[in-house]
Amino acid sequence: MPDWLMTVIRSVGVLVLMAVWMRLLGRKMAARMTPFDRVYLVGFGVLAAVLVLNLIQPPLLAWIAWLTWGLTGLAYSFLSLKSKWVRDLLHGKEAVVIKHGKIMEDQLKQVRYTPEDLLQQLRGKQIFNVADVEFAVMEANGEINALMKSNKQPLTAQQLGVETAPETGVQTVILDGNILDEPLATMGLNRGWLNTELSKLDVSPENVFLAQVNTMGELYIDLFDDAIQVAQPTARQLLLTTLEKAKADLQSFSLDTDDEKAKQMYRQCATEVSSILYDVRPLLK
Amino acid sequence: MTTYSKVKQTLIDLKSAQSTMEHYAKITQDEKSRKIFERSARKLEPTLERLNKRIQRMEFEEPQYKGS
Repeated sequence: MPDWLMTVIRSVGVLVLMAVWMRLLGRKMAARMTPFDRVYLVGFGVLAAVLVLNLIQPPLLAWIAWLTWGLTGLAYSFLSLKSKWVRDLLHGKEAVVIKHGKIMEDQLKQVRYTPEDLLQQLRGKQIFNVADVEFAVMEANGEINALMKSNKQPLTAQQLGVETAPETGVQTVILDGNILDEPLATMGLNRGWLNTELSKLDVSPENVFLAQVNTMGELYIDLFDDAIQVAQPTARQLLLTTLEKAKADLQSFSLDTDDEKAKQMYRQCATEVSSILYDVRPLLK
Repeated sequence: MTTYSKVKQTLIDLKSAQSTMEHYAKITQDEKSRKIFERSARKLEPTLERLNKRIQRMEFEEPQYKGS
């Protein structure tokens, strides 16, 4: 067999092995790359290159080195899962760099961080004023996460006392013109429902690029043909206006009539409708 | 538009609102919203009844409305 063919075969073989090995090591490395992970992967890669190019004679030695490296990696990922001590030793612990709004200079020095680095990291999080930070942690991978002082945090609906409609998640039910049955079933819906909704909008499923259903069973669709205007869901708004109008009508009836009993009755109805409105308004916005 | 037909229209509007709320109670995935919609739909019931009675009374008092 010619040399070049051997190299091709070895390359493909090592690539496949690497792919399998990376799956075994788990996704953690990609998600949270600590310095140790980086060193480990570089070493692993270099050994793979040595294997492919047959740089060491006899090749068996390279294979042994590569296997040892790989198995140690597996053992280390297993051990760090099991023991906090191993984790802290290999990955390092997170360090508190700002506490109660004050920068911890000693901690910064310990993790070899210059003030400029700290400022740059904070700016990356849209924090330009250190005075706004209550607490900041440097994670094991060198990233800084900061908690703003409570009066500098974005306002939430809860703080304003505003009731909001719960959003338990949106399901994508059509992708690229294909109906996805599983998300539909999760929402307790089926193809029949989807087809009805689509025919209400006067479109066929094949023309839909993307369709999503929200908690209230409202359908949002995007068509392949962007020139066509599709009606947006308005049923919720409609219910709200119907109730508002009924309330106003009842109030005006109570003013119009001369019958005292009827007046009373209309007023009572209006009160009841307005209490219903109070309950459902947050859900309909 | 006579008062009679206005009241009738309001009754129909409220009925449709009630059925919409019942529909939402069935379709929504959120337990809390489902309860609110169910309760509101039920709460509308006495109002519908009262309006119905009022309409019947109007028909009794002024029979020319009947069937219109």
